[in-house]
Amino acid sequence: MSDLLLSLALILVKLGLIFGVILGMAAYLVLAERKILGRMQLRHGPNRLGPFGLIQPMADVIKLITKEDFMPDQADKWLFLFAPGLTALTALLSFVVVPFAPPLTIFGRELPMVVCDLNIGLLYFLGISSLGVYGVVIGGWASNSKYSLLGAMRSIGQLLSYELAMGLALIPVVLSAKSFSLTDVVMSQADWPNLLKHPVAFLIFLVSIAAESKRTPFDMPEAENEIVGGFHTEYSGMRFGLFFVGEYINLVIIGSMLTVLFLGGWHGPLLPPIVWFAIKVLFVAFCFIWARGTMPRLRYDQLLHLGWKVLIPLALLNLLVTAAVLLAIG
Amino acid sequence: MPKLIIDNREVTVPEGTNVLEAAQALDIVIPHFCYHEALGAVGSCRLCAMNFLEGPVEGLQMACMIKAEDGMVVSTVDEEAVELRSHVIEWAMTNHPHDCPVCDEGGECQLQDMTVAGGHSRRRFHGPKQTYINQELGPFIQQEKNRCITCYRCIRTYRDYCGGTDFGTFGSRNRICFGRFQDGRLESPFSGNLVDACPTGVFTNKVFRFKSRVWDLQEAPSICPHCSLGCSTIPGGRYRELQRVKPGINRETNGFFICDRGRFGYDHVNHPERPRQARLDGQQATVDAALTAAAQRVRQMVEQHGPDSVAFVGSARTSLEAGALLAEWAKRTGSPHLLFETHRERDRAARILVDRLGDRACSLAELQQSDLLLLIGTDLIAEGPMAALAVRQAVRAGAQVVVIDPRPIDLPCSCTHLPVGPERLPVFLDTLVTRKTEALTDAERNPLQALLEQLDAAKTPALLGGADLLGSRGISRLLDAAVALDNNERPVRVVGLLGGANSYGGALLTRSPRDFDTLVDDIQEGAIKALVCLESDPYRECFDPARAQAALGRLELLVSFDCTPNLAAQRADIFLPSRPVAEMAGSFINNEGRLQAFEQVIEPGISIRETSSGDHPPREFSLETPGALPRPAWQMLAQVLDLPGDLPAIRQQIATADERFDALTSLTADETGPRITDPVVLPDTAPDELPQCVPGETLPLLPVQGFAGSDWLAHLSAPLQPLEGEPTIWLHCDLAVRLGLAEQDQARLTTPLGHCHVTVRTSARMADNLVLVPHLWGTALEGLVPGGRHIDCRLEKEVNL
Amino acid sequence: MGLWRDIKGTLQPFWVTLGYLFKKPATIQYPEEKRTPPPRYRARIVLTRDPDGNERCVACHLCSAACPVDCISMQAAETEDGRRYAAWFRINFTRCIFCGFCAEACPTMAIQMTPDYEICDRDPLNLLHEKQDLLIDGCGKDEEYNFYRHSGIGVVNPRGGNADETPPVDPKALVP
Repeated sequence: MSDLLLSLALILVKLGLIFGVILGMAAYLVLAERKILGRMQLRHGPNRLGPFGLIQPMADVIKLITKEDFMPDQADKWLFLFAPGLTALTALLSFVVVPFAPPLTIFGRELPMVVCDLNIGLLYFLGISSLGVYGVVIGGWASNSKYSLLGAMRSIGQLLSYELAMGLALIPVVLSAKSFSLTDVVMSQADWPNLLKHPVAFLIFLVSIAAESKRTPFDMPEAENEIVGGFHTEYSGMRFGLFFVGEYINLVIIGSMLTVLFLGGWHGPLLPPIVWFAIKVLFVAFCFIWARGTMPRLRYDQLLHLGWKVLIPLALLNLLVTAAVLLAIG
Repeated sequence: MPKLIIDNREVTVPEGTNVLEAAQALDIVIPHFCYHEALGAVGSCRLCAMNFLEGPVEGLQMACMIKAEDGMVVSTVDEEAVELRSHVIEWAMTNHPHDCPVCDEGGECQLQDMTVAGGHSRRRFHGPKQTYINQELGPFIQQEKNRCITCYRCIRTYRDYCGGTDFGTFGSRNRICFGRFQDGRLESPFSGNLVDACPTGVFTNKVFRFKSRVWDLQEAPSICPHCSLGCSTIPGGRYRELQRVKPGINRETNGFFICDRGRFGYDHVNHPERPRQARLDGQQATVDAALTAAAQRVRQMVEQHGPDSVAFVGSARTSLEAGALLAEWAKRTGSPHLLFETHRERDRAARILVDRLGDRACSLAELQQSDLLLLIGTDLIAEGPMAALAVRQAVRAGAQVVVIDPRPIDLPCSCTHLPVGPERLPVFLDTLVTRKTEALTDAERNPLQALLEQLDAAKTPALLGGADLLGSRGISRLLDAAVALDNNERPVRVVGLLGGANSYGGALLTRSPRDFDTLVDDIQEGAIKALVCLESDPYRECFDPARAQAALGRLELLVSFDCTPNLAAQRADIFLPSRPVAEMAGSFINNEGRLQAFEQVIEPGISIRETSSGDHPPREFSLETPGALPRPAWQMLAQVLDLPGDLPAIRQQIATADERFDALTSLTADETGPRITDPVVLPDTAPDELPQCVPGETLPLLPVQGFAGSDWLAHLSAPLQPLEGEPTIWLHCDLAVRLGLAEQDQARLTTPLGHCHVTVRTSARMADNLVLVPHLWGTALEGLVPGGRHIDCRLEKEVNL
Repeated sequence: MGLWRDIKGTLQPFWVTLGYLFKKPATIQYPEEKRTPPPRYRARIVLTRDPDGNERCVACHLCSAACPVDCISMQAAETEDGRRYAAWFRINFTRCIFCGFCAEACPTMAIQMTPDYEICDRDPLNLLHEKQDLLIDGCGKDEEYNFYRHSGIGVVNPRGGNADETPPVDPKALVP
């Protein structure tokens, strides 16, 4: 009985910690993005609130909460209210399967450093990340606005185009780890990270996951200067905030997934595993911000062209070659 | 109809048109100074040069001096012509002081426009500029001689067109300037036209001086409310203050000019004591509450005492729309008492004129074409100044003018004047009808014989008579005379000068055969218990104010709509603030039956000049404009009657109810206006007896209108105050000698109304045995309303102690 | 070679932006640091005085006519000696867009733009500048011009007394 309580307590503690850390990271990623983009454009970025603008996220949250919660006339009320929550929720749920450190032994029990070490973690991740697009699509549809609808349409088109490539790019990783469990995937990279073992898969996954999470240069669904923010044009206040937070949690997830699947997870010399994990995640996040500061947005037809005509054939080829090689070396 | 080609465009113009006008018909802008549609062309400014390429005239010519002829081919853009024009304007500018920033003409300065049009932008002449010493020209005109470009338009306006004599050209060669011989007020009642005539800022409006730039003014076409001629005006206001009036162009009535009363009489709109707040039983109330109370109490009165107990009295300055709604109100209550004039004789005269005028009506434009004008019992300068100007134009074209009037009449033209007593006027008119001269004295017979011969010979004769002096009987005789003098070839035209701007419209709407005097009897007896006054003041504008005051005290309900601080407004149980002409749209019918619309110029409100008391406007935010409560009378009456409150709907309603006013629905303020003639309900009372000018113990007194002080609205206008002067009487020289009085003596005038002190003026050009009193509001003479019956007076010299 | 160019074109900008990351930002930290605008910068509007110390403004309304946002209003008045001046003169800086048309239109050099750009306020009424707020004790950008010394209507000098004028004409003189 106490066993059960203990494990429950540990899970709750883990959940709380992860929840806090993820939301904190998301908040500060916003700040980091603004600072880094600012510096890349020879600006300062936010620097008025606290040293280096460190209180800025708090101010943003206060602002978002106190702003008028506006709903367009003729909007689909319930869907409109539901969409931002769905986005944030699916983003958070993805993190459930991410192992951020080797299992820890505590109170004589082995505690996996993952909320829930599913044996189909990878499939779970793929599923949940696909669900995330519903928030966007529903929000865009419910707003009853042409810009939002355009954003939603682009979003769903983009998801369909890249989902496949992403899944195909992951199969070599699964083949070499011989498991769908993400912990096993990390374990399989103890010698070499998958980045070196499957560089092509890495590239395809990198591009696909950027497209999936609507990061530049694939941010067509919200393209501010064409469709005024796309699916979230009509959102204000904390509802907009939820979309926003969801996006930055996604950035953490991307970082985590790339780390877990290709960068060797927590493996690394000298420093404790959790620190290595954090460094890798943050580095990936930085790279995405860096890309945003560097690359222009793709045209929509270019985006589809890249997805269907380049990435999917490439991923299939890569899968065949990898499978063949693995079969050959046994 | 000559057909000519100007700048490769063909145009056909009426015979006699000059080439400049033909070019203007094609919307080609040609610089010009000396040409003016009313003044004609003299070809002196050399600015309208055009090159005549083909046709009867060739070469570089002044377009205003060449009559358009068939086959002319003209170029306005020819290099030679353009160069000449640019040099001429450059010469004109050599002595101009370049003080546009401080010149009031800026914004409507023809010199500015022409300089730009002529292409002159940089001064090449470096010699010194000529300067002049300015003259003080009285309260209306500000002079700045340095700006003069010697175009002579002022002289042609003031002397030639308006007939002024105290203004001229001085100096020789390059020292020419224009002004009076000595400083002093410009005496012509049309002096204000110098402001419009001067193409630059030599003569500017002193009253309007530095008040606004013309481009900042809110302007709209309007109608002058100061006499019955219905001149077109364009008032301009800014910061909730009406600031000036300039003439509008109506070729049928005033043409291009207006008189000084119309130009400077606008200030009643800004009168500091103007009532702007509705009152209910002495307490301030909202307009809506007061209107509801008025409707309800009138209804109660009708229920309790029958429809005969309520009387409705409009006035000659009531707009046609408001008048028609008042008539509708009277109709709904069932009251038979509906009048539009409290002055009995003016009321009767107006109704008789309106009833019988018909096709004899004569516009001022037609008056200018007359070759013989008989002015009987009318002083045009006082009763309709612009008619005097029209008479002058007729005289300039060769017409003869005969004046039969007791007053020392000053027309701006030559005329034959027969100064006879007022009681002789109907006799003369009778003689014109019957051609029997037995009733005339020997001295009168010859001139009248001559007049009859002239009238028979005249091709386009016109008779002009004033309602005040002729009265209803006289006006009736005047029309009889016109009928009698008609022959197969031409009708005799008639112009009747009426009491106010809408006397004609009021007469059309009047339904009661009675006049206000008999209503006063009813009020006295208690038969009429409620009186609704629409912009009328029975306490003072009525012929017998003392009697009216006594009777009106018995009223149980007095409702007054007004925009001026008059007695009825002060004493009313229910007072409703209405708007003057400049603050609303509406329409008037002038003395020839011409229906003319006016538009709203400004919104009512206490001007910023007052609210800021001279300093900058108040530093506060407010959604309410101070003093903006007054509403158009027609709007308030529509509310009483539960009708829609917008003007088109009201006009539609009026036109539907009364087909005489069909034209109202499509009327705009910039048209000359259709004429309306129709039989009206005639008065059934006998006319008043005229004063008898016979020697005796007492002297007959004849109150008459003056130019400035006897029009109520003009009296409320501060700029006209300097013209009002002090109470004056006029005596014949001989009578003055008999009384031991001399010019400028102070005398004590005793009338049934009391005593007053007056200054004596004498003239040899007036009737003997008669005391003429120009009516003057705001003085002891204000009770002596012009027109009406015989009053006796005594006159004693005052000895200065 | 096209592929190589594409890859290079994709990656090289990353290098550039990374370089910018370590450069000093160009931003001027406004309330702490202030830039000095050029002398002809168009900011706060002032009314200047002529070299004699009198108000230059003659209330000619040209500035208010030129103003595209109608932020200038005034009332002209006249002194004893015939000088036209502004009885009150108001610029509503909540409306002003600092286009400088007023200064360009001013025929007397009275209204001028200055580089003082710090005019913000939370109360709109404080941005309603009256004549006393606008008037400065100086000539501004033109040290010499005095309108009344050039326009021949005799305010500063008696009529005909300015440098480029002849003494008043005697129209009644008989000498040819």
